[in-house]
Amino acid sequence: HIAEDTSDLLQHVKFQSSNFENILTWDSGLDSAPDIVYSVEYKKYGEREWLAKEGCQRITRKSCNLTMETGNFMEFYYARVTALSAGGRSATKMTDRFSSLQHTTIKPPDVTCIPKVRSIQMIVHPTSTPIRAGDGHRLSLEDVFSDLFYRLELQVNHTYQMHLGGKQRDYEFTGLTPDTEFLGTIMIFVPTWSKESAPYVCRVKTLPDRMWT
Amino acid sequence: GQEFQFGPCRVEGVVLQELWEAFRAMKDIVQAKDNITSVRLLRKEVLQNVSDTESCYLIRALLKFYLNTVFKNSLDKAADSRIRKSFSTLANNFFVIASKLQPSQEKEMFSTSESARRRFLLFQRAFQQLDIQAAQTKAFGEVDILLTWMEKFYQ
Amino acid sequence: DGVTVLPAPQNLSVQSTNMKHLLTWSPVTVPGEIIYYFVEYQGEYESLYMSHIWIPSSWCSPTEGPECDITDDITATVPYKLRVRATLGSQTSAWSTLQHPFNRNSTTLTPPVMEVTKDGFHLVIKLEDLGPQFEFLVAYWRREPGAKEHVKVVRSRGIPVHLETMEPGAAYCVKVQTFVKAIRRHSPFSQAECVKVQGETLPL
Repeated sequence: HIAEDTSDLLQHVKFQSSNFENILTWDSGLDSAPDIVYSVEYKKYGEREWLAKEGCQRITRKSCNLTMETGNFMEFYYARVTALSAGGRSATKMTDRFSSLQHTTIKPPDVTCIPKVRSIQMIVHPTSTPIRAGDGHRLSLEDVFSDLFYRLELQVNHTYQMHLGGKQRDYEFTGLTPDTEFLGTIMIFVPTWSKESAPYVCRVKTLPDRMWT
Repeated sequence: GQEFQFGPCRVEGVVLQELWEAFRAMKDIVQAKDNITSVRLLRKEVLQNVSDTESCYLIRALLKFYLNTVFKNSLDKAADSRIRKSFSTLANNFFVIASKLQPSQEKEMFSTSESARRRFLLFQRAFQQLDIQAAQTKAFGEVDILLTWMEKFYQ
Repeated sequence: DGVTVLPAPQNLSVQSTNMKHLLTWSPVTVPGEIIYYFVEYQGEYESLYMSHIWIPSSWCSPTEGPECDITDDITATVPYKLRVRATLGSQTSAWSTLQHPFNRNSTTLTPPVMEVTKDGFHLVIKLEDLGPQFEFLVAYWRREPGAKEHVKVVRSRGIPVHLETMEPGAAYCVKVQTFVKAIRRHSPFSQAECVKVQGETLPL
């Protein structure tokens, strides 16, 4: 009996994770696959039973949000997709072992840049995650990553940078020239997991110095 | 600089990010070879709620097992040069850590060391219940579970 | 193995500076022929637990020149055995092994190169890029009796960075040393460099 090749039904089954929002995605090998339906199952690594993901049974879209089901960031998970074509052909493919702690990427932080006459204040707002603590409150990235810190850079007339950084959320670049434009970039770093967010960028101009006018 | 602090046992000169980098380079290859997804060797009962004083005994037993049993037979089969290089990084750094761990042998620490030994035996028995080849592949693929746990003691 | 005709490479040695490790040897010469060399290494684990296992070097299996950058191969602070052999077509030499195993904690750490400048009242420093393993401890002080020395850890490499906003009319001095986490060693401090700010006063 020669096993039928069904790789065209289903490919690239994998997790995409950002700030612990864990989305399962896959592709169909065919250019258009109107008559194929997909069903998703998941389980913890080390457990025997596969659990059907409600809301992702016999769907036609090629993604499924498994954030809640894979919400324990200390755990390891697998997910698998079964594709079924109208003609009765089917294929099942599994993800690699998934750990949101290892795989999640970090989005740019949310920052408010406040220009003053000779300084620019930057306030970093906490980033919440979908992960809930025992008491139900949502954990922030800082709660999850104990060594998370912020790194702020201010580009000064294209020749050098000013750097500030740390765990606190309120920073101020001082000793600046009034009425001058500066480019600020703010990133999140998690050293032990070698994670670095894309930068939040703000272009601000210090206020004119009314005292001398 | 950063170091490991397993209770009273301090270990310097190992950069945890270098171990992660080495494991990440081979993770998907190694874990893809482990198709027994229903068995996990480093289960919660082995690693959860380990006291600081217990941690030195446990990490020493685990690292020695990895060095003597898991790694020892894995490199022969590692034809892929990426794996050989990453493997060598992990093995040699595990060797550095293990050689610097000197847990106390005093009598009053007996209950702590016994507790660590029971945890280790849970792991070892699960390992021995599998075919040796499958067990080595699974243990090798669970290095990220071990590193995640070790991270708590890296300051 | 091919028939051993070629002489084995001689005078193996490692020069290591700022965590860059270069293995060199005396070239094997056969007039009119190109000789290729293969470099392999063994960490302490391999030599103790699986001494038959040697790992091909990342960049020199093979290589033409009588040297090999083994920096990427040395990834633990343990003694490493290194060996080289020459090949010419199917002919191969015997292996030559480095006499004493190499440990990266023996690397020479040099005082880092720095450039101290000022932009208005800003004291600016630019440090050479020595790679991700290096942190820079920058000490700076106001050049006056009893001045306090400030220390900053700078990780940005190769780009000018603001160090301090200076007081008008004052002179500031800076010196820097490197720190390498993997071997927990510092370099010597660089020579101190000083800059002086013009006399205008900075409006409050």
